[in-house]
Amino acid sequence: MTVVLPEQKFTGRILPVTLPAGPGGIPVTVGGQNTLPFTPEGERPHPPAVGMEVRSGGEELPPALAAVIGEIAGDPVALARRCVDDWGARFLFLTLDGCHPDGGGRSVAEGAALVRDLLAATPAPVLVGGCGDEDVDARLFPAVAEAAPRPVFLSYAEEKNYRLVAGAALAYGHGVVSWSPIDINMAKQINLLLADLGFPPERVLIDPLTGGLGYGLEYTYSIVERIRLSGLSGDAMLARPILCHLGDAWKARESVDASEGSWGDVAARGRRWEEATGLACLAAGADLIVCRHPENAVRLSGAGWR
Amino acid sequence: MALTALEIYKLLPKTNCKECGFPTCLAFAMQLATGKATIDLCGPASEEAKETLGAAAAPPLPKVTVGTGEREVVLGDETVLFRHEKTFYHPTAIAVSVADDLGTDAFAARLGAIRALSFERVGQRISVDLVALRCASGDPGKYARAAVAAREATGLPLALLAPAGPLAAAVEATADSRPLLAPPPQDLGEAAKIAAERKLPLRVRARGIDGLQAALSGAREAGAKDLVADPAPENLREAVADAIGIRRLAILSRNRGLAYPTAFDLGAPFPDPFPAAALLIAKYGSLLVLDTTDPADLLPLLTLRQNLFTDPQRPIQVEPGVYAVGNVTASSPVLITTNFSLTYFTVRGDIEASRIPSYLLIADVDGMSVLTAWAAGKFTGESIAKMLAGCGVGEQVSHRTLILPGMVARLSGRIEELSAWRVLVGPQESSALPSYLRRLPPAAFLPANG
Repeated sequence: MTVVLPEQKFTGRILPVTLPAGPGGIPVTVGGQNTLPFTPEGERPHPPAVGMEVRSGGEELPPALAAVIGEIAGDPVALARRCVDDWGARFLFLTLDGCHPDGGGRSVAEGAALVRDLLAATPAPVLVGGCGDEDVDARLFPAVAEAAPRPVFLSYAEEKNYRLVAGAALAYGHGVVSWSPIDINMAKQINLLLADLGFPPERVLIDPLTGGLGYGLEYTYSIVERIRLSGLSGDAMLARPILCHLGDAWKARESVDASEGSWGDVAARGRRWEEATGLACLAAGADLIVCRHPENAVRLSGAGWR
Repeated sequence: MALTALEIYKLLPKTNCKECGFPTCLAFAMQLATGKATIDLCGPASEEAKETLGAAAAPPLPKVTVGTGEREVVLGDETVLFRHEKTFYHPTAIAVSVADDLGTDAFAARLGAIRALSFERVGQRISVDLVALRCASGDPGKYARAAVAAREATGLPLALLAPAGPLAAAVEATADSRPLLAPPPQDLGEAAKIAAERKLPLRVRARGIDGLQAALSGAREAGAKDLVADPAPENLREAVADAIGIRRLAILSRNRGLAYPTAFDLGAPFPDPFPAAALLIAKYGSLLVLDTTDPADLLPLLTLRQNLFTDPQRPIQVEPGVYAVGNVTASSPVLITTNFSLTYFTVRGDIEASRIPSYLLIADVDGMSVLTAWAAGKFTGESIAKMLAGCGVGEQVSHRTLILPGMVARLSGRIEELSAWRVLVGPQESSALPSYLRRLPPAAFLPANG
């Protein structure tokens, strides 16, 4: 006798969002589903997409990353090409940390020039992240928006800077990532504010802040689940694709510390730390994952069926 | 599905007799709905109400225990599909396998490696829970001796993965330790009889949910009571789909015939076990058997489990006290924050990012964040002054300058009044700490005079 499996049906649907590609590139579309991840029911027109982060600053790489991207990490454009051509990244997340006063302090013009060079070098969809310094980012985002010859996503717009970031994105036809610090009400609020500005909803992604494994991942896990359930239950402001950036996985002591012998090989452990963080995000409902380890780009893509 | 307060209220006498200790029947119904009271407090309740509410209160997923004493493992007994709805109670148990046909030294070495898979994180010990003993020899005597040796070497409960003959022999030798019987599908009938006779937990393995329905029913007919369901998936996709299906049958359909804790054997030939293990920790796996003893695999999995099985209403707290971050000296900055684990890790991470060795004082505020603790009156000028006097940081540094979270700048006057410390107001957000700390003038931390 066949067992009838119970289903959870929802009235809402996640808005599809497309990350545009350059000529010859493949755009990435996510969203469009009316169901939770990994369940048998409902429609999932687009599987989650995994992209890779490229950083412009010269930070010291964790051992697990130094072993695989160390040789070209100093050349963001070359790294970007390899991410797309050799490692299967479906999109790129360019972090302009090199413009941070403590991270190299490169000028805003240099940051914008790097965006231009990277977009010329690969047709893959691109998101551009700021450097994290409020004052610098306030100049950086408009410069990037102007310099980018094709549409990108600016990451990120939050309550403090959304007018500036969304304004720059609107003026040049880019998308934005709406950011909130692990708080469903603030996630809704920033999307309302963007809507009030008249920002097109099909060019918005939600970044709920992704804690690293062991360092707050459980909060992200539940917020992603709650945002997704609200969106599927009809809250249009939250019915958006969710982006989880796994960068914090590399800040965990467990993913970088070679001194603790009983924890196993640091290169294997670091990669697993990022992978486990990403798997939890996929289980919770993430649509876009940003990772740094080439192997994880492949592995997380394989795990993230819908 | 659980009943709502109003549905429960309709079943109550509605006399507001207060016998239950609550002022009205509606108030009592609300307590029942949240599981904070039980129907037996209501003397006048009808038999129908008692039956309905009693059944609704029984856990939708039965509890199965393996092992005894301190290392007892509890499987199942969950009530929700999403942890934010309440919490996940019983962490996915992790068993690591060992084969009984290894040479003496290799067998002992592997048990040693399993025992070493235990780590300290945020004040908790996270460890592998069981030894899964695979019968490769086919020899009942050898298998039973291996079971005894595995118990003695690790002190962990056993999952006995063996055909009926060796299984019976191992049960003879280790029944007191309440092992989990895990026979191959073709030996289920015999193993179910042993489980019934000895009152031991039994893993029922059959292909898919449909296969399990028949096999579980057979095991119940043989008298076995404490059952764990293994849908024998061949890959990650099937494993996660089956785990979700079985948990939903228990929680959403209240299907008693299939509502059991789940077990998954991710050992060979299961392809690429790590992602399957991680997803099954998130999605309802009750027991996982792994072949790996590599801490680089187990530490991430055990940490993920620790994260997801934390009660969302009761955040993990950090031990209050003085934490040295980096190679501190007597002139290192001193910062203070609260013992909510996320607050602690965020601040600590930002201090590490600054590369300025610092002391971090963690105040005991019952695991609240800075602003919440301030609003609750637990993070005050008085409590901070008391901590500065009592925690011993004054003996570790020669200066008397405290960096206070910018959110509670208003406390600085009171702290300076009540202590010998001068207060510097730090940034509002922890993320600004790296640049804040790097820009502090060294003169801020000169030795205090008298």
